Amino acid sequence: MTKRRILAVDDEAGLTRMIRLNLEATGRFEVREENFGAHALEAARDFRPDLILLDVMMPDMEGSEVAAQLKEDPVLKTTPVVFLTAIVTREETASTGSEIGGHTFLAKPVKAAELIACIDGELGGR
Amino acid sequence: MGEPAVAATVTDDTQARQTVLLVDDNATNLQVLYQTLRDLGPRVLIARSGESALSIARETVPDLVLLDIMMPGMDGYEVCRSLKGEPATRDAAVIFLSALGDTGDKVRGFGLGAVDFISKPFQGEEVLARVRTHLKIRRLERDLSARNRRLEAQQRHILESMGEGLFGVDGGGTIIYANPAALRITGRELEDLEGADLFDADWLETSGDESGRCLMRDAILGESARPCEHEGVVRRPGGAGIEVDFSAAPFHLDGAVRGAVMTFRDVSRRKRAEIELKTAHDALLKSHMELRHAQDRLVQAAKLESVGRLAAGVAHEVKNPLAIIQMGIDYLKVAQRSPGDPGSQVLADMEDAVARADRVIRGLLNLSREQVARTAPADLNEVIDKSLGMVRHELTQHNISLDTDLQPGPATTLLDVPKIEQVLINLFMNAVHAIGRDGLLHVSTRTVDLTEEVVYEAGIGNVFGAGDRALVLEITDTGTGIPEAELERVFDPFFTTKPVGKGTGLGLSVTRTIIEMHRGAIELRNRSRQTGVRVTIYLQTHESDKT
Repeated sequence: MTKRRILAVDDEAGLTRMIRLNLEATGRFEVREENFGAHALEAARDFRPDLILLDVMMPDMEGSEVAAQLKEDPVLKTTPVVFLTAIVTREETASTGSEIGGHTFLAKPVKAAELIACIDGELGGR
Repeated sequence: MGEPAVAATVTDDTQARQTVLLVDDNATNLQVLYQTLRDLGPRVLIARSGESALSIARETVPDLVLLDIMMPGMDGYEVCRSLKGEPATRDAAVIFLSALGDTGDKVRGFGLGAVDFISKPFQGEEVLARVRTHLKIRRLERDLSARNRRLEAQQRHILESMGEGLFGVDGGGTIIYANPAALRITGRELEDLEGADLFDADWLETSGDESGRCLMRDAILGESARPCEHEGVVRRPGGAGIEVDFSAAPFHLDGAVRGAVMTFRDVSRRKRAEIELKTAHDALLKSHMELRHAQDRLVQAAKLESVGRLAAGVAHEVKNPLAIIQMGIDYLKVAQRSPGDPGSQVLADMEDAVARADRVIRGLLNLSREQVARTAPADLNEVIDKSLGMVRHELTQHNISLDTDLQPGPATTLLDVPKIEQVLINLFMNAVHAIGRDGLLHVSTRTVDLTEEVVYEAGIGNVFGAGDRALVLEITDTGTGIPEAELERVFDPFFTTKPVGKGTGLGLSVTRTIIEMHRGAIELRNRSRQTGVRVTIYLQTHESDKT
């Protein structure tokens, strides 16, 4: 079984590390960490992820801007993106079906189990 | 001297000049009298017989008649009786001329209305003195009666010009006088009123019933009668009522009450003005309250705004570390497989701590955000049942009994069910914390038509008006209550009466925000007779929400 490739983009190195450890502990994922929004596109082109976890608020480049760059890439534009946000509350992500502007949102702090369930959901149909 | 020309002597100055009529069949007597009186001043007329005297008197209306008693044909007594019998000549003063010294004749003469006697033969001085005196008396009488007439006319004029209605009643309460204003206000004719009993009048309604009328009659006409004032309504023939103020004063004669004067004034215009004034005053009061409320809300909103800015910043800074801790715990849990390991408990406690910190941040964000309720028709009673189910364990644990009094049938209205559940659980948990142990939680719902009093007292005038229908949810506890001084602040963010670490101070702020999203209102006060708090939530009813 080939491992699913996940690119985790967040300026918090601690968080990307925890995401990697939790996802890799399942044995089903291969995770690459990226702590700079500005490098996210480059990393994605290089890594060719099946799914991108993207922090909304990063000091060097907003998550939405990164997402816009990805949309313009002929290959990456179809890659699913799951946003991680500290500002949107859990109730809001739940009541809007976790979709804002066509993207899936997860509110921090997110439990590993929820994150994995969300990723599986996004990749399920592919 | 011959037959004197009688009527020819009539001059134009009859008003100013007095007239004396001399009546005697004896020409010599007439001449003596005439000469005696000629220079006195008054016009002097003479008649030789009773019949002639009467015709002259009718024409000239003399002030004084010197009248011989013994005359052929009509004698002096008869002439006197005739003069006194006719209105035109009745006021003439009659002095009999008599040779008779008989007291009986004099008595008879006085009985017929004579004022004096002059004895024959005439003493010039005596005649002059008596005539002068009686002319003077006569003039004074005339002046007096003229003055009386003038006075009466003036008084009548005053009474008739009064704007107030005026009734005079006799000692029995019968109307003996009504002025034109009284007729105008009552809409009745004089003959409808005069002779009627004022206190039995069916057109007069006074404060109080029949006994009130008796009291009034007694107060005005009874032994201890004194002036008094009343309010009442005058019923006009068409049925229209005119509000009146009336005042009555008894009048006494010889120490007894002989009647009363009652004046009344049409005050309907003043009353209307009073009502308009009151309406305007109420409207002013209401807008003042609304203004004050709006001001409170503005202050609150300003607080919330600053909280909101703070919250967004804090959320970002705190949630990232929380996310790391959470996922760290998750990672460690996978490694800690054996259930008996104390490490499992450590991780569970840490996870709880993360959840708690997250709740605080979430509360802050909820509070700071302009949120919209996503409402759909739902049964409030059901939501209450469900929420109570969630705190049942807490109630049992703290030995709190539950008493519900929910409106029969569904209490359906537009609700954002998850948010209302949040509100209810928050309020129930507040009650549990306030009671501590052993107590009663009472929950009721009912549909109420709001009165102005309730709207004012509850301070919900910015959302509801008098006459609006509201679905009212009441939650009371038997806890410690809230110090009066702190009541005003309970809806402030971060205000809490709970011990440190027990509450975020956000519950009631969020609660109110949610209720207001539903276009409802919340009121919190200490119970009046027992300790504890009563929270009242006013929600729109489903039908009022449609409009």
